[in-house]
Amino acid sequence: MYFIANGFIYRKSNSIIHKLDPRVKLLISIQLFTLALLVSDLYNLAIIFGAISIFSVLGKITKRLLRTMIFATGFSVLILIINYFAGYSLLYSIQIALRFIAIVCSTSLFFLVTSPDELEYVLRWFKLPRDLVFAFVTSVRFVPVILMDTLQIIDAQKSRGLELEKGNPIIRIKKFVPILVPLIINEVIRSGELAEAMESRGYGISKKPTSLYSLQLINRDIIVILSTSISFIMIISFGY
Amino acid sequence: MIEFNQVSYNHPDGTNALNDINLKIQKNSITAIVGNNGAGKTTLVKHINGLLKPTTGKVIIQNNDTKKLSVAELSRNIGMVFQNSNHQLFADTVKNEILFGLHNFGFDELYIKERYEFVTDLFDLKKYEEISPLKLSGGEKKKVCLASVLAWNPDILILDEPTVGQDELQKSILLDFINSLHKNDKTIIIISHDIEFLWRLQPKIVTMSDGRIIEINNTEKIFTNKELIDQVGLIAPQIVRIFNGLGIVNDIPINLNDAAKMIKNWSNE
Repeated sequence: MYFIANGFIYRKSNSIIHKLDPRVKLLISIQLFTLALLVSDLYNLAIIFGAISIFSVLGKITKRLLRTMIFATGFSVLILIINYFAGYSLLYSIQIALRFIAIVCSTSLFFLVTSPDELEYVLRWFKLPRDLVFAFVTSVRFVPVILMDTLQIIDAQKSRGLELEKGNPIIRIKKFVPILVPLIINEVIRSGELAEAMESRGYGISKKPTSLYSLQLINRDIIVILSTSISFIMIISFGY
Repeated sequence: MIEFNQVSYNHPDGTNALNDINLKIQKNSITAIVGNNGAGKTTLVKHINGLLKPTTGKVIIQNNDTKKLSVAELSRNIGMVFQNSNHQLFADTVKNEILFGLHNFGFDELYIKERYEFVTDLFDLKKYEEISPLKLSGGEKKKVCLASVLAWNPDILILDEPTVGQDELQKSILLDFINSLHKNDKTIIIISHDIEFLWRLQPKIVTMSDGRIIEINNTEKIFTNKELIDQVGLIAPQIVRIFNGLGIVNDIPINLNDAAKMIKNWSNE
């Protein structure tokens, strides 16, 4: 679980990708995501994976993105098998499976290099309702915390003889009850406490709260926007 | 006996949590592990019931290498009570919470009934048996956690921060309880930042810092060593600080009654 979760959790770094304006990072992610949805041949998929690799190397997140890939591969194998047995050719089934991995990786790429704070600025820039932004960003921010809680609960129950690895699939699913019940209760308690703490510090008093930071595009961001957008348009126009 | 032989442990992200740990914990002893946050205390005890396996070195429990046994096999003889009760409690009633471990280990119904009666009497939990454990107070929740672990009668009991969120009365009850377990041949390991509580308990103390063991000694020797307690980020118990201030570093009384008697004798002299 720790292995998989690390493929989606932001870690601070001073890489060139981390330093980009979060709107640019979102744009790159959307471009890769859109391409993964639109293209279908192996040649164009190779270009998408090439682009993802370049961004992951520049962002120093290759190892963690590989974890995402491993996680996505499990599902993509299932997609491949279902498509193949549904009567599609092996080549087409492989392409669909690879597209799934590309979609997951393009999403993961954004979350791996964008802090929850940056995510909040982007969503506010889109003029989304403040409460909605706060709820979404808080849920992202709490992913590592919930993961730690889950690991501690698993440890506590394993120490009382719970063996998650034994039994048939139905028994195994049932064995997750002692993990899920404390986890859900803890998170409900935590969300209540958080709401009280936020209200105690004046959340919701002002309809237009001020902000200490504002997003500002610099030359580096503009160069990246132009280069990725031109490549995106070229692939869309001529690639597939 | 619990034995750590040159144990090192690295977390999955590569950070080193334990470094060359050599430790022997004798049967029927009370041992406390102290140190600052991130010293590796919880990581150390998680090696005892196999939740973590050493990256290098060996952990031997009752002549068995923990690498060769599952957590469930080790937990049969090692009970671990976690710091946060809410991480453990899940059942609809206190009764089912206590029976959880007993059923997991596959004991026969007669033994289960006998143990259930024993722990509910011991912790005075009979009155709550049909109530959800989540509705209880912090102190009562802790009792349920302890009862649910002691239910299967493990030889070794690990308590992670047992005094957190407990009032003084609960702490005193816990102190008596640990001493009674000790008298019943149990090996007890406690992780705690509660120095006053440890002073009253007087266990053997293992001090840790940055994943290493700094010193192992009796309570008085540890808490009167100012350099050491500074190093591991602790503050000596109040009674120690008072007597150190009076120039006394040995035979410091354990409780306030003894301290008062000692001071009275001095004033008479």
